[in-house]
Amino acid sequence: MMNERPLTDGKIALLNLNAQIDALEPEVRRGYASVEMRVGLVELISLHGQIVGRIADYERAEEIAEQLVSDAPTDPRTLLARARMHAVFHRFSDALADLDRAERLSLDAETANGERAAIFQALGRYDESLALREQAAQRRESFETLAALVGLHSERGEIEAAERQYEQSCRRYRGVSPIPLALLDFQLGLMWMDEGRLEEARSSFEAAQRRVPAYAQARGHLAEVEAQMGAVDSAISRLYSLAVFSDDPDYAAQLASMLQKAGRDEQYQHWRWQAASRYDQLIARRPEAFADHAAEFWLAAGADPDKAVRLARMNLEVRNTPRARALLAQAIAAKVS
Amino acid sequence: MSDHISGPRAIADPVIDITDVYAFPCPESPQHLVLIMNVFPYAGPSALFSDAVIYRLRVRSVSIAPEGRSFAVAADESIFDFTFSGPQLVQEGRCMLPNGDVVTFRVNEENGASVRGLQVFAGQRSDPFFLDGPMAERTIATRQLAFKEVGSDRLYGKNVLGIALRIEWTTLLKGGPMFAVVGETLSAGKRPVRLERVGRPEIKNITLSAKIFDTVNRDLEIRDIYNEEDAFSLFKHYVGAYRARFNANLAFFDTLDGKVDWPLDEHGNHPLTELLLSDFLVVDVSKPFSETSYFEIELALLEGRAHATCGGRWLNEDLVDTLLTLYVNAGKGPRIRDGVDAPIAWSSKAFPYMAPPNRPGGSQS
Repeated sequence: MMNERPLTDGKIALLNLNAQIDALEPEVRRGYASVEMRVGLVELISLHGQIVGRIADYERAEEIAEQLVSDAPTDPRTLLARARMHAVFHRFSDALADLDRAERLSLDAETANGERAAIFQALGRYDESLALREQAAQRRESFETLAALVGLHSERGEIEAAERQYEQSCRRYRGVSPIPLALLDFQLGLMWMDEGRLEEARSSFEAAQRRVPAYAQARGHLAEVEAQMGAVDSAISRLYSLAVFSDDPDYAAQLASMLQKAGRDEQYQHWRWQAASRYDQLIARRPEAFADHAAEFWLAAGADPDKAVRLARMNLEVRNTPRARALLAQAIAAKVS
Repeated sequence: MSDHISGPRAIADPVIDITDVYAFPCPESPQHLVLIMNVFPYAGPSALFSDAVIYRLRVRSVSIAPEGRSFAVAADESIFDFTFSGPQLVQEGRCMLPNGDVVTFRVNEENGASVRGLQVFAGQRSDPFFLDGPMAERTIATRQLAFKEVGSDRLYGKNVLGIALRIEWTTLLKGGPMFAVVGETLSAGKRPVRLERVGRPEIKNITLSAKIFDTVNRDLEIRDIYNEEDAFSLFKHYVGAYRARFNANLAFFDTLDGKVDWPLDEHGNHPLTELLLSDFLVVDVSKPFSETSYFEIELALLEGRAHATCGGRWLNEDLVDTLLTLYVNAGKGPRIRDGVDAPIAWSSKAFPYMAPPNRPGGSQS
């Protein structure tokens, strides 16, 4: 990957992210923190969750955001923080409503539209998202505005545009933190994976993991690519620690699927059970947030197409994206066969 | 907050965010100059210096310019570059001296490392800065002094990553005895890029951050551009923008007591603007250590008299009160207080000066 400028070692970057959270969390718990500090903590914990793959982090961030809105309902920053957490848990209508309220309370349009663009993208409203993203990039060509376009073009399978924006955004990166670049590499990796270009996908996921070794999603997807390329043992060993330590059942589900394919039935059953029980817990609490991944699990290692169809339908109701439509079609086909 | 969280880039990555720079004659041995640079506001216990950043202290000899209204800064410079290792049980640091020699040390080792004429420390310490930040913000928002008798300090009990350098100035620095001091963070590599720079305290936050008074650049977040500048040689195309912001915001502070103590000149320039644009600490090591001498050399310059103190900046000085009083009434009225008069722990007069780190939650360890 390009941009080989010096970056902080990924382990230090994660320790420093922990250090920021550890310094702010006691202040928030004791009620000493300002709105700004609490909003900052929501972002930091959410980022931590994204890196290490921990749902409990997102839930803690959401809890702080809810409390913030309750304590300062007319402060647009609190509504923005909650909107972001609603979006993380796929409550997109609530997120958009919070953004509208925040804007009425003087949140600047640039910030509000940046968040809206992300939500429109998640909802498959790509044209609306693109219009806002391009507007932002035209106003100010920064790493952030161009990186947002990478994610959008990647998801739409617009390879040339995604690669071009990737190069431009990397060129504009002025920081030393490896985390934003790792997130960007990951976006590109997803695109290559969707396109079936496994070598490129592996290279992108490896770059993301090299920058931030603890980046769980990059490691999980790298394992998936490796498995597709035939390196099943390596993929399984990559996934074990993730499946053991993460509270996100995606890794147990992936591991179960690989073990099944490798004919390691006893281990497969163990991890299938782990994933199934965790998905059931999460679906009971937050159906819209986990319907897509749970459907994928029941369609594959979970081996329950009925459940997969039900969840895939639920997911399609939440967001009508090409991926959601394809998932439902797959689930229906599996049920019929 | 002094220079904590001073712009979008610093907010995004605290490991490059310089919170404060201090410069003072060593209280125990006047032949030594002490320089301190702190980074990483709200540092939790696991915070480490970046292995991709150069933490730089720049020192130049400075004198009063012949016309007596500004500083003449020498071209020769003494640079002290600090770099740090990657993650390991104990992080290791290197300090490159102006002559190219390198001193190695272990982070958080109380006595740091010593070589002839120099002692160096880096590690986690209690943040020595104190102020009532929310009331400073409210003062700007309401256009009225909002400070209370007893203020609230959001930095109370917080830690930073500190670098302390004690140098025998006659052997390690060029020129003197008056020096200009700037702290910087730069990305490492073949072509280091400046990420942050700090000279005087509360320039980017209290003084420059408010946009509402600036009729020239009302919507410009000026701090990241300002951070990229060489303090000793501002980019001529941006000086006008900085000057406009200084003039507008300093004029606002002057209105807060209802009278004008700093009349603007015929071009609308505030009398402090040119001095503050020269954004470096000025310390005179021929004068004895003083606890309350911040900006005295600059004021003497403005008043056309010889300075009486070492100037510079000591760790325990109630800087915000000094600054508010300067901006609001030019020292001609009562001292303006922010209601916060001390940090959780005072710094000591012995190396490495700053108090040990606080426990998470904010008590002294």
